[in-house]
Amino acid sequence: MADAVRLEGLRRVYPGLGGVVTALDGVTAGFAPGTFTAVMGPSGSGKSTLLQCAAGLDRPTEGRVFIDGTELTATREAAMTRFRRRRVGFVFQDFNLMPALTVEQNAVLPLRLAGRRVDRRRTREVLDRLGLGDRLGHTPGELSGGQRQRVAIARALITDPAVIFADEPTGALDLRSARDVLDLLRAAVRDFGRTVVMVTHDPVAAAYADAVRFLADGRIVGRMDRPTADAVAERLAHLADAPAAGGADLLTGAAGAAFSGWPRGVAGAA
Amino acid sequence: MTMTRLALSGLRHRTGAFVATFLSAALGAAILMTFASMIDTAGRPAVDPVSEESLATVASVAGGWGLLIVVFAVASTMTLSVRQREHEVGVLRRAGATPGQVGRMIAGESLLIALVAAVVAVPIGLVLGRVLLRLLQDTGQVAPSVSYAFGPVALGMGFGVTVSGSVFGALLAARRAAPAASAPPYPRSRRLSPRPGRGRVVAAVVLLLAGLSCGVLTATVMKGRGMDAMQTAGQAGIWSAVGLALLAPWLLRLVAAAVPVRLLFGAAGELAATNTRRQAAQMSGAVMPVILFVGITTATVYMQAIDDRAAEGLIRQDYEKNVQTLNYVVVGMIALFVAIMLVNTLLAATTYRRGEFARQRLAGATPAQVVGMVAAESLLLTVTGVVFGTVASVATVLPFGMARVDDPLPSLSLPPYLLVVAVAVLLTFGAALGATRRAIAGRAVDAMRLCT
Repeated sequence: MADAVRLEGLRRVYPGLGGVVTALDGVTAGFAPGTFTAVMGPSGSGKSTLLQCAAGLDRPTEGRVFIDGTELTATREAAMTRFRRRRVGFVFQDFNLMPALTVEQNAVLPLRLAGRRVDRRRTREVLDRLGLGDRLGHTPGELSGGQRQRVAIARALITDPAVIFADEPTGALDLRSARDVLDLLRAAVRDFGRTVVMVTHDPVAAAYADAVRFLADGRIVGRMDRPTADAVAERLAHLADAPAAGGADLLTGAAGAAFSGWPRGVAGAA
Repeated sequence: MTMTRLALSGLRHRTGAFVATFLSAALGAAILMTFASMIDTAGRPAVDPVSEESLATVASVAGGWGLLIVVFAVASTMTLSVRQREHEVGVLRRAGATPGQVGRMIAGESLLIALVAAVVAVPIGLVLGRVLLRLLQDTGQVAPSVSYAFGPVALGMGFGVTVSGSVFGALLAARRAAPAASAPPYPRSRRLSPRPGRGRVVAAVVLLLAGLSCGVLTATVMKGRGMDAMQTAGQAGIWSAVGLALLAPWLLRLVAAAVPVRLLFGAAGELAATNTRRQAAQMSGAVMPVILFVGITTATVYMQAIDDRAAEGLIRQDYEKNVQTLNYVVVGMIALFVAIMLVNTLLAATTYRRGEFARQRLAGATPAQVVGMVAAESLLLTVTGVVFGTVASVATVLPFGMARVDDPLPSLSLPPYLLVVAVAVLLTFGAALGATRRAIAGRAVDAMRLCT
């Protein structure tokens, strides 16, 4: 069976201050359908770039990306968007919901944008399943962080994508909501047969996946099946011992993630 | 102290965002100074009484219109620029700034902008005032011997109005923004922009009634008084335009319900309709200048056309020619000012939406769909502005027709109106779509990072 996502020799180079920065340095990997994979690595290891290239949000400098057996060849944004919205679902750290739209409208937005028919009953079923059945008419502002992330998961499920990419999906959530969201991502794989690729800092989050791929200096440097939080943390610590930078970041682990991009998460806890 | 330093560093880091506010304040101050310098000129020794009176009339009538619009424009641009900083204000509040500190910071910034703008406006006002005086002298209304003066009245009006208008507008907006210590990433209330207050409705009703009474006055008392009817007729249109502009959020919602953007623009139109419904108060910032632009220009152009018709076959006196020229000068100036305000507002508001556009793109919208959504919104804005601007102009044209040619609906040529509408459409779509294209130029993921 073909991989849901296949990456071949991905390289991504950015123009930097003192010459070029190599974010990805020849990544080849496959993600089988119906699996839940976590991608981990110190900060600056290229996780986010990997996800963006794999998801068609960014173009690699070299290499090929296949999703559901189809190669992403588009270079213009409109074409990339059309490719993406047919095959890829997203869950972002900051939810990425439209504040003006209701829960239900947010969930079906990609379908609407793609001009696809909206099956209201199925939409409600999915939202019900995610515990949002009584929130259909609410706007994101009226929801808790965990609920917002569930709306984002619903939105990713409803288009029936070949793969769901999650970028630090628990980074802005409290521990309990984070656990709920991870349970739901796992359920998306087990019950809905989805494929999930999740980038995370947090060994506890990674332990929910079937397998972990470790990334350092833009390369895949290891793999762990049936991970546990402790084993993942230990492996990460070894990665940090390597000459690569970013070691200090690991000491703070999940706390570092919570403080990184989203100051509101801090305010929520206060 | 800290807040002042913060205000200064804010200005340094967000130069682009302040350009809009600065431009409208500078231009407004220049216009005010131009007219106010006529009073300075009239106050010089050895000005004959006739010249003095014409100078005073020009200053009070034209300057009065200008005053109203400048205060309105400066305050509304300021409100917009403060509202755009809600996120920043929220961060400050959470970092421990009291509402008073935030208020002082915002007031400090706007004071600084207004002062610099007024200083920059001095040479412009000086030159424009000279041109205006020359115009009045060339048409024989002011004696050629009168020499130009730019003094305390010009400076006082220019600085006073610009500074107080800016600071007042900013404080009003800050009062709303400041309590948001826990400003959530997604606004809590379902209606995203604050519900327009009751004070606004009251003000709008008062202005509309004033407009109406000026209209009635024109058609009755001023009937047969020739050109003098222009004063009340002109005011009828202006008051009505400002009154309707205050009601813009409601009018916009009304139009959004009536125009089938969903059918015309598909999914993008649907988003536009939802945005307009939920964020009418924010979007109405751009409707106001369209109403003012269409209302004031249409009213003046047609009022002059009716007057020309009434004077057909008669030989016009210098005085009348002068009024005609003055009419066009004033309307030109105000139209230019309002047009700049419109473009400013749209550029600022659209650039501010960068994060929203990025979210949409990440949710699967193509660049064309984002542009389509903004186009659909612009359509709603323009239709609202043009329809109600036209309504406001009717408050001038209809009574003036009755007063001057005894016909409320004299057959007037359509092209000038079409030109006004075309300019409004061009400005609105040009500014909004241009800014949108720029806002979505980079990658969506980068735009998100910049915004959070």
